[in-house]
Amino acid sequence: MRIDARNLLDRLGRSDFSYKEFEDRFTDLELWPILEALLRDPRLQALDQPALQVAKSATRGNGEAPAPDERVPEAPKEQIQVLFSRYEHGSEPAAKASAPAPHPADSSGDVRALLRRLSAAVETEGAATGTAPREGDA
Amino acid sequence: MPVILCHGPKGGTGTTFVAAHLAMGLSAEGADVTVLTFAARDTMPLHFGLSQAISLPSLTAPADEAVLVGGINLRHWTRSADDADLLPMLNDLGYLSPGKDRVMVLDVPSGDWRAARRIAQAACAHVCPLTVQPDSLALLPQMFDEAGTDGLSRTAFVINALDETRRLSRHGAAFVRELAGQRLVGRIRSDEAVPEAMAMLQPLSRYAPASAALSDVRAISGKLVDALHSTDPVWIAPSAASRAA
Repeated sequence: MRIDARNLLDRLGRSDFSYKEFEDRFTDLELWPILEALLRDPRLQALDQPALQVAKSATRGNGEAPAPDERVPEAPKEQIQVLFSRYEHGSEPAAKASAPAPHPADSSGDVRALLRRLSAAVETEGAATGTAPREGDA
Repeated sequence: MPVILCHGPKGGTGTTFVAAHLAMGLSAEGADVTVLTFAARDTMPLHFGLSQAISLPSLTAPADEAVLVGGINLRHWTRSADDADLLPMLNDLGYLSPGKDRVMVLDVPSGDWRAARRIAQAACAHVCPLTVQPDSLALLPQMFDEAGTDGLSRTAFVINALDETRRLSRHGAAFVRELAGQRLVGRIRSDEAVPEAMAMLQPLSRYAPASAALSDVRAISGKLVDALHSTDPVWIAPSAASRAA
């Protein structure tokens, strides 16, 4: 670390900088063609996804701020422990755990449908404005 | 002994960096940690502040040849990663036996994905470092396909070298957050102090204690430690022991 950066951090009483102000919401991101292609790839749907979160993201209005917990890319401790605890109990719980637990509010949480909806929205927007990502908002 | 596999879909995603710092974090918590690296061209010593001239001893080398850094036993798998003897040997050496105070962290290069898949069957977790650059993201479908549902159930993702001042990086990170959900255990910010520490032949913790990347990787390590502690009283490999027997 450069000495001037270290001095600034010392003066601020911080150990590092955080660029949280740059973080974009999923619904605000420009769907670069590669991300769009990945969204359409059925192989990515093998991972249990936070369907409800995707649903919220897909349906959230542009002006609505995300909830604070949605801005933090960290998993709750219990969920990580579930990931590891599969190791302890052998194949049966692992098989059980490999299926995503149904979310109580997941009646609309069909990830495939959500991805289709996201893709359709992109296509609609792309037809109106062109598919290339916008420039210059960094 | 918990076995933690570190393996990314593409080279250059910082798998060795993550593996080294996971080992340090686990060791700091009092675990007896062994690092086993599979890379033919190995840079693991640099992350521990050692010269690249040091060659790590093989897994079976006697204790007097061991390279110990801060109590962490650094070893190198000198045979092919696809060697069918690997898991039986780990079992014979006691690395797959129950005992939660001993941990083995395996650093497997991206190219050895077949070996990684096999090792993952014996591991408690697969930590998968990613960058959010297009060439890394593009490989995710193939990786998911290879891992299968059961393999993915033990996979935790880490975004490495994240530069949130860059638009594409922000968007890629948002995509991975949505994709991985709870399986994203954290992100490590891009930090010039990481290569600088290697250039100084110093551990990152000594060269730049205030490093953002160090802070981030420590947070990730802390989560993994919490997860390890959650499985009381012992860790039992799901299938390796029976396969190795």
